[in-house]
Amino acid sequence: MKFGIKIMPREVILDTQGRVVESYLVSQGFKIQNCRIGKFIEIDLQSDDKIEQKNEIEKMMLGGLYNPLTEKYEICDV
Amino acid sequence: MSKKIGIVRFLGTNCDADVMKWVLGSGQQAEYLWYQDQFNIENFDQIIIPGGFSYGDYLRCGAMAARSPVMKSVSEFSKKGKPILGICNGFQILCEAGLLPGALIKNESLKFKDEWAELIVAEEKSFFGKQMKKKQTLKLPIAHGDGRYYNTGDGLKKLQDQDQIWLKYQKNPNGSLLDIAGITSESGNVFALMPHPERAVFQWMGSSDGVYFL
Amino acid sequence: MMTENLKKYRLTSEEYELAKKSLGRELKDIEWPLFSALWSEHCSYKSSKNHLKKFSFRNSMTPDMDGENAGIIDLGYGEKIAFKMESHNHPSFIEPVQGAATGVGGILRDIFTMGARPIALANYLCFGEKSAPRMNDLMSGVVRGISMYGNCVGVPTVTGQTNFNSKYNQNILVNAMAVGYFSEDMPLALSKAKGLGNYVVYVGAKTGRDGVGGASMASASFDNDTESKKPNVQIGDPFFEKLLIEACLEVLKLNLVVAMQDMGAAGLTSSSFEMSANGEVGFTLDLKSVPLRDATMTPEEILLSESQERMLLVCEPKNYEKIKSVFSKWNLDATILGQIHNSKNIQLKWGDEILTEIDPNVIVKNAPRYDRPFEKWVNENKVEKNIEPLKKINKKYQKENLNWIYNQYDQRVCARTAQACESPIAFVQLDQTKRGLAIAVGCRPEIMKMDAQIGALDAVYYPAFQMALQGAKILAVTDCLNFGNPQKNKIMSEFVASVEAIAKASLELNAPVISGNVSFYNETLTENIISTPATGMVGIRDSVEDLIPTHFTSAYESVLCVTYSWVQSYVYVTEKENQVAQFNLDVSANVPQFIELCQLMDQKIKKQDVSISAIRSCGLGGIELTTQKMSKDLIIFEKAVELNSDYLLKDQFYQFLLTTTDVVGVTDFLNEHFKNLKNKNQLFKIEVVGQTIEAKI
Repeated sequence: MKFGIKIMPREVILDTQGRVVESYLVSQGFKIQNCRIGKFIEIDLQSDDKIEQKNEIEKMMLGGLYNPLTEKYEICDV
Repeated sequence: MSKKIGIVRFLGTNCDADVMKWVLGSGQQAEYLWYQDQFNIENFDQIIIPGGFSYGDYLRCGAMAARSPVMKSVSEFSKKGKPILGICNGFQILCEAGLLPGALIKNESLKFKDEWAELIVAEEKSFFGKQMKKKQTLKLPIAHGDGRYYNTGDGLKKLQDQDQIWLKYQKNPNGSLLDIAGITSESGNVFALMPHPERAVFQWMGSSDGVYFL
Repeated sequence: MMTENLKKYRLTSEEYELAKKSLGRELKDIEWPLFSALWSEHCSYKSSKNHLKKFSFRNSMTPDMDGENAGIIDLGYGEKIAFKMESHNHPSFIEPVQGAATGVGGILRDIFTMGARPIALANYLCFGEKSAPRMNDLMSGVVRGISMYGNCVGVPTVTGQTNFNSKYNQNILVNAMAVGYFSEDMPLALSKAKGLGNYVVYVGAKTGRDGVGGASMASASFDNDTESKKPNVQIGDPFFEKLLIEACLEVLKLNLVVAMQDMGAAGLTSSSFEMSANGEVGFTLDLKSVPLRDATMTPEEILLSESQERMLLVCEPKNYEKIKSVFSKWNLDATILGQIHNSKNIQLKWGDEILTEIDPNVIVKNAPRYDRPFEKWVNENKVEKNIEPLKKINKKYQKENLNWIYNQYDQRVCARTAQACESPIAFVQLDQTKRGLAIAVGCRPEIMKMDAQIGALDAVYYPAFQMALQGAKILAVTDCLNFGNPQKNKIMSEFVASVEAIAKASLELNAPVISGNVSFYNETLTENIISTPATGMVGIRDSVEDLIPTHFTSAYESVLCVTYSWVQSYVYVTEKENQVAQFNLDVSANVPQFIELCQLMDQKIKKQDVSISAIRSCGLGGIELTTQKMSKDLIIFEKAVELNSDYLLKDQFYQFLLTTTDVVGVTDFLNEHFKNLKNKNQLFKIEVVGQTIEAKI
């Protein structure tokens, strides 16, 4: 079963990369309000059990896949 | 006769002053070119794109710089067959701008690497002030996080067939394909390398092999 | 309510009474955070200020820069240097990458806010044992943070020191030092606001909720509650800092600026209050005009935000548009927040609403001072008879390859570097006169653990000695005094002993302590770190072209050892790490004189063409460890057969090794050169300890 994990900088945290890309896009004439840049991870899990899947992903995330201080994540379907 | 060299500055370029010092020290004339301005290509004999972290290396190294106004002139300059040298971030920018083939991606170690590199001249090229001989070795420092040259199999073959790989590492520091440290364009007037010749100008710096590059 | 406020704003009830008394009235809501930030240990130096006066010694090269961001050395011939060292211990423990990165960013701003272009970075790091929880992540994170920031901003990291000890398991130390250079045409910028009607201008990044409450956090001891301190993490952006450096130096060079101050700890609050107090003028400050990343921020949050890469400057109204256009060229904003007025008060506004009006001196100059109790220092662990050492160097101290750290730092950007991290000290070339500027950091925690007074003297002597061996004369010192809880008598005693020792050594070497930083409360669950007064220093040498190498250069040369015994110990060969090493101290030794002679020796070696091909100070771990460090390119050390391991392992302060092909000639030269050393016969020794050979592959 394939999962996508979207990792984004937390709202309160300055996204240095997003800030630069935003100002670049504005300089190119695009009208944008805000730009934030994160990461996307695709994982193919062996298990078919929904609860087990969720637990496993949570374990992975806490095991270093994201930094809870500065980032948040959400699980998406792919 | 001394050459007039244009040194391009982007937001985040940080080897511009080093290159200026090097160029002036070698008896050439030089002028900075600002990333937002186009320039008259007749006014310059050569362009250097120095190293640094243009746009903070965000998104992809060199990606945003490659699309700034000054690069339109650089591209025109190249079409006239006039010489362009890219160093480190300048190499990345030239690849992103399509003036050189391939891409530079994260070092195999995933870490920034600063060290002295032993290099070997793979092809004799007539671009440089002092003639470099084939198989000659050079000692220059590297300092980069994204210096691993990447291209497709076909792309690499083309580079080899056309003798475009002119500088190689003796001991590969970053996982660069075919040990590539520097390449040239098909037309032969655009040169780039990851090591920093401007940091090896005097013996007290650790090497003076940078003199071959001006 | 009152108790809640005291807790929230970390003020004691005495401090609250003092605040009320200074104001002559009750505190308004908006004033609580002001007192909290400015009276924190971090901003007010309330436990240390009484002792820091002992660093008042200055000489003709070091003008008094009281209240400014960093100290200045006038090198003559139109060249000046600014430098300073600062800690970022607590933030780095919470989030190592950003903690270390913002530490580097902050110290750089201290330098370029004065008009100096940053030309070198150095760092002093203390980590715990590798087996300690999180330690590997902390180590790699801190190194990544320093490398990410310094490399991108384009300032070379040229030297550093990394220590490991279990006493730092729960409280690592991350100290960063920056060196800045003024060329002849660069005016010195001060932080004193002045000129009625002048604008107060905010430049750089927008304000977010970064590190709100951070300044008082930095001075609070750790407990197990670091989880709840999460939202405080400040994010550093070296790219923005690079733009800020260029823009600030450009407006300063054009003489468009009256005063400039970076926003460091306690952000806008401390920068504005210091500018006002230092200049003895007041101004209005409209918090509603502050450019925000998040429009919902409250005035209190704006005042305390520690968002990075921001500065405050004062300019004449006629220059504002010019300043704005320079900043806009560098893609940065410049926003007017207020104007200097007739009264000495700062008037904090929210649009048209006046939040408060307050004399900054009431807060800045009336900050509480504490005379924390301490004992006069005695050298307790001194022994008269020789110590019985182990026969082998303790495994954990064997030469460790720290290249994985240094290789991540760009050491040569700026094209000035002549010697960097592979040697004990660094040299960069100065632009105008081509002289060599030597840069070093010091303080050996193992010696501090043995004896705080000797350790702190050594924190100045040893780097000065290392400089001297390569011919550089030490000019000035900066320090970063990392200590535990000052309310504990033992810690405070070590603090006072250290300050006095550093002051003494700096006077002896004619190298004033011109800037510095104190970091107290390096304590976790009542466990204090080793008292660690880290030092940074710069020195000068005529040229960088003829430095004697610090590594072996050829095989089959004799290795000579020169010893001047001040202290002897076996720090690295004691069985247990926490056992206090004992030592022999000879108080008759004149270390400063020995250092001076070492420095003069370098010129004589050149002049008399003495055959010396490598030179290096012997650190802890004695000859054994030092010869391992000198080995390079397959040229290694072979000890003379008659030497026993005791001799090779003993720590001698001070001792150096050199290589030569002419033992007799060099020995005569050294005996002649050091002949005036007091007590020479007892303490001074020259011996052949072995030779260099080619390693068998």
